[in-house]
Amino acid sequence: MGSIALRGICKSFGGIEVIHGIDLEIANGELVVFVGPSGCGKSTLLRLIAGLERPSSGLIEIDGRDVTRLGAADRGLAMVFQSYALYPHMTVRQNLSFGLENLRMPKAEIAARVAEAARMLAIGDLLERRPAQLSGGQRQRVAIGRAIVRNPTAFLLDEPLSNLDAELRGTMRAELAALHDRLGATMIYVTHDQIEAMTLADRIVVLRRGRIEQVDTPLNLYNRPANLFVAGFIGSPAMNLFRTEARGGRAVLPGGIDLPVPADGPVVLGIRPQHLHPAGPDEAGIPAELRLVEALGAETVLHGITDSGEPLVAVIDGQPAVTRGQRLRLAFDPADMHLFDAGGRRIG
Amino acid sequence: MLPFVLAARVLEPVLALWQRRTGHAGMIAVFLIPNMTIFGIFVIVPLVLNLLYSFTGGAEILLEQRPWVGMQQYERLLDCQNHLQPMTCREDQFWRAVHNTARFVLSQVALMVTVSMITALILNRRIAGRGLWRAVFFFPVLLSPVVVGLIWRWILQREGLLNLIVVRLGGDPVIWLNDRFWAFAAAVGVSTWAHMGFYTLILLAGLQAIPRDLYEAAEMDATPPSRVFWRITLPLLGPNLAVVLVLALIRAVQIFDEAYVLTGGGPGTATMFMTQYIYEVGFASFLRNPGLAAAASILMGGLLVVLTLIQLALSRRAERMRQR
Ligand SMILES: Nc1ncnc2c1ncn2[C@@H]1O[C@H](COP(=O)(O)OP(=O)(O)OP(=O)(O)O)[C@@H](O)[C@H]1O
Ligand SMILES: [Mg+2]
Repeated sequence: MGSIALRGICKSFGGIEVIHGIDLEIANGELVVFVGPSGCGKSTLLRLIAGLERPSSGLIEIDGRDVTRLGAADRGLAMVFQSYALYPHMTVRQNLSFGLENLRMPKAEIAARVAEAARMLAIGDLLERRPAQLSGGQRQRVAIGRAIVRNPTAFLLDEPLSNLDAELRGTMRAELAALHDRLGATMIYVTHDQIEAMTLADRIVVLRRGRIEQVDTPLNLYNRPANLFVAGFIGSPAMNLFRTEARGGRAVLPGGIDLPVPADGPVVLGIRPQHLHPAGPDEAGIPAELRLVEALGAETVLHGITDSGEPLVAVIDGQPAVTRGQRLRLAFDPADMHLFDAGGRRIG
Repeated sequence: MLPFVLAARVLEPVLALWQRRTGHAGMIAVFLIPNMTIFGIFVIVPLVLNLLYSFTGGAEILLEQRPWVGMQQYERLLDCQNHLQPMTCREDQFWRAVHNTARFVLSQVALMVTVSMITALILNRRIAGRGLWRAVFFFPVLLSPVVVGLIWRWILQREGLLNLIVVRLGGDPVIWLNDRFWAFAAAVGVSTWAHMGFYTLILLAGLQAIPRDLYEAAEMDATPPSRVFWRITLPLLGPNLAVVLVLALIRAVQIFDEAYVLTGGGPGTATMFMTQYIYEVGFASFLRNPGLAAAASILMGGLLVVLTLIQLALSRRAERMRQR
């Protein structure tokens, strides 16, 4: 079992509150990803769950049991650190068995568990080496192995792949996903990387300045961002946003696009770059001048600027014949549009 | 500032000319010469003189008036029936000093390493006024050894501070420095007090170089505190600890000033150490014997060279471990 619940968690460092009342339920076996800009409190929240920090107020429950006052050792969780935090003077084998020896587990069982983890992570031939004699990816595996052998209630991973190069990160991401499937254990995963978040998560928690902005499945976050922050944060390149005024149930965009909106007053219209396409001859489109064309082969990223000086980014399939400086009208299907009120909250 | 600026202005063209004439190698010489001159005058020359003196005899001070005696001084120093029994030695004072020094080194180094380790561990915690405590423990290192010796004599003498307290508490005053055991213990304790700040600092630096997340990993691994110390802190501190051990050893062998001011070597010869023996035989005693003193100091120097080589090897190993 490994369900985790946070109830009204606050955390202050030296009088400055950095986590402001977090409520979150994580089901057993779920893989939840924390994302958010740097300094938003992802690591702090993870460390609070781990028991490495104490909340200023609020409750933490694991499997329905209040563990707020318990130390890290008694929560039965395992953590994978961004720096790996392998014991540098111990061999891989000693690193893996250290925590089990603390539990006074019989030697034979320790050996069996280490062997099993080593097989799972393909580090069997590294067991007698020291961390300094391993590559980044191998160290990463050992760090994960150290968590696996303890058979924890849940895994906590703080940016575990951020020290790896792009290619290795891709491989390890796939391995982590496979590992999660096989172990079926609860995992909480902190990352900066959107692709990691989107591909790994059952649910994503978007944090900003110590508050939860939205919790949902990756596709729901992408399709129905609850507010402007999530809209801008999830998806790459970021969503195009237009501030405008809705009157009598209609809003007008540059280029004479007239849209029905269920609101009145100032609104923000959002459209993802992937949902823009060059307008047909009798289609209304937003006129823009292209400032940069990034041809990636399968798709082309157009960076333009509208007549009113707002930036506009479009991702077009294939290799359209466009050049820098060219004027273009970009159209979209109103069904793909996102609408937010003046306070940044989603409408509809 | 101005004088330095002027000096630099004057020197610059001279050095530039020299560099053009002699190139890279010449510049190395320019920068080394001032230092090497001082080193030569105050270290190399005395060392050679000392060696020469150790092969001469008599009480004359000037080298050219002293007769060459070859290895006689060394033979005299080392002439013993049983080296463990100073009484059976021809130079029983020397062997007494050697024995005292050995006992001193063993007890003082053990005490020093233990005390500075414990202090460093405490100061490494997030305790209130940590900066102040660090300064407090380091302060005695800045004192002149003579001042250290005097302070503690005022505390330990017959009408000193300690006896004042003992009497207040209803006890009988003890003449600490006239007691063989207490005088020796005082020499050990005072020299530890005087230098522990230095070793504490080295160990503290080592402790702070251990990444915090290792301790957090150990916490997640449910490691009991004692096991954290023996299995994580101590091994990772090993190189620093080795450096501290050997440095303390070298310093302890050289013990002289604070102990001499504190006890004067007494009572009897209970706290007479090798350096004091050399000083007294060479300069202070009525029948001074510079040759014998020189030979004794060469023997002691040899011991120190061995210890220093060990220390260098250990620091180099520590450096390598850190780079990994
Ligand atoms: N030990 C601490 N003492 C004081 N402030 C802290 C401490 N740890 C974190 N903070 C503050 O708490 C806030 C959240 O930090 P945290 O490390 O959780 O951010 P993060 O989301 O993990 O950022 P990043 O993505 O850069 O790792 C930051 O403003 C940080 O300055
Ligand atoms: Mg972080």
